[in-house]
Amino acid sequence: MSDIDAAKSLTGLLNGIAQKAYHNHGEVTEDLLRTELYPVLSPEDFHALHDKMRGLLKSIAMADMDPGQLEAFLTAQMKRQGSGGMSEGQASALSRFWRSQRARVRESLLAQSRWEPGLRGLAWRVDLQTSSGRGPEAAPGGPVALLELELGRPSQDSEYVRLECDEATVNQVLKKMADIQRSIDTVVHRS
Amino acid sequence: MLTFRSAGKSNLSAGDLVSKLEEGCTKWPKASLQVVHKLWTEQGPLVHSQQEVQALLSIGQLVDMQWKLGMAVSSDTCRSLNSPFVSVLLKIVEPSGQISQKSFEMTIPQFQNFHKQFKEMAAVLETV
Repeated sequence: MSDIDAAKSLTGLLNGIAQKAYHNHGEVTEDLLRTELYPVLSPEDFHALHDKMRGLLKSIAMADMDPGQLEAFLTAQMKRQGSGGMSEGQASALSRFWRSQRARVRESLLAQSRWEPGLRGLAWRVDLQTSSGRGPEAAPGGPVALLELELGRPSQDSEYVRLECDEATVNQVLKKMADIQRSIDTVVHRS
Repeated sequence: MLTFRSAGKSNLSAGDLVSKLEEGCTKWPKASLQVVHKLWTEQGPLVHSQQEVQALLSIGQLVDMQWKLGMAVSSDTCRSLNSPFVSVLLKIVEPSGQISQKSFEMTIPQFQNFHKQFKEMAAVLETV
């Protein structure tokens, strides 16, 4: 395999590993990667290469390495003897890959760390109630906001939550949101 | 006591409804049961679908919102997440009177958009 081809295949492999590990593309299997990118390698040899690259990428992503840290890391890897070592070609392919994909991988890692449902969408309208069917304790009509919140966990279907909210409650919520924004400003200012 | 309302909600067939009535009380005259059977065969499905529509139209009322501002520091796949998030707990009164809760998280930009939408909502409510 020429140097250029080797670099291309390795870049393809790193992309495939990232797709599966970080970007939720479970259909990118080891077998698929081997037949597409390294058809000449035996399954065992490919498996070793795949695992090594996956481990390296995991370390780089876990530490969210900046260019300086990455260079030091790759240099150390190249100095290692035997099968643990790395060629210059491999190091430069990894370096190029991380430079272009770092932000995207980090985004995915952040998204993966959110286990509570997230807010995927919000729709709302304001109705004027002419009367309320909720009994004598209810307000005698007036404007009311109708909200539809789209909530969902990563790679799960959305749940739609429909709510109504009168003017007083909207104002109460707005006050709390102003408190949240003040908190955010304090934290951001501090960090 | 078995009522038509609960039979509608459980989507019972006419046969099931009659069996349940018989279980509840042995004094039902046969003729009466036949009337109930005929009536439910004709009207049962309509009652059930009306109840379903009613459930859709009755939505909960937001009564309170609790919040916290958190910072995701570190995880097993990323040593330094450094990611602030807003966590919200909505308190909702259902049409039945029961109180339910819904919680969810937002990134800072998502929260700011959420805040903006609420401000727009308040502005519209004021003008209506």
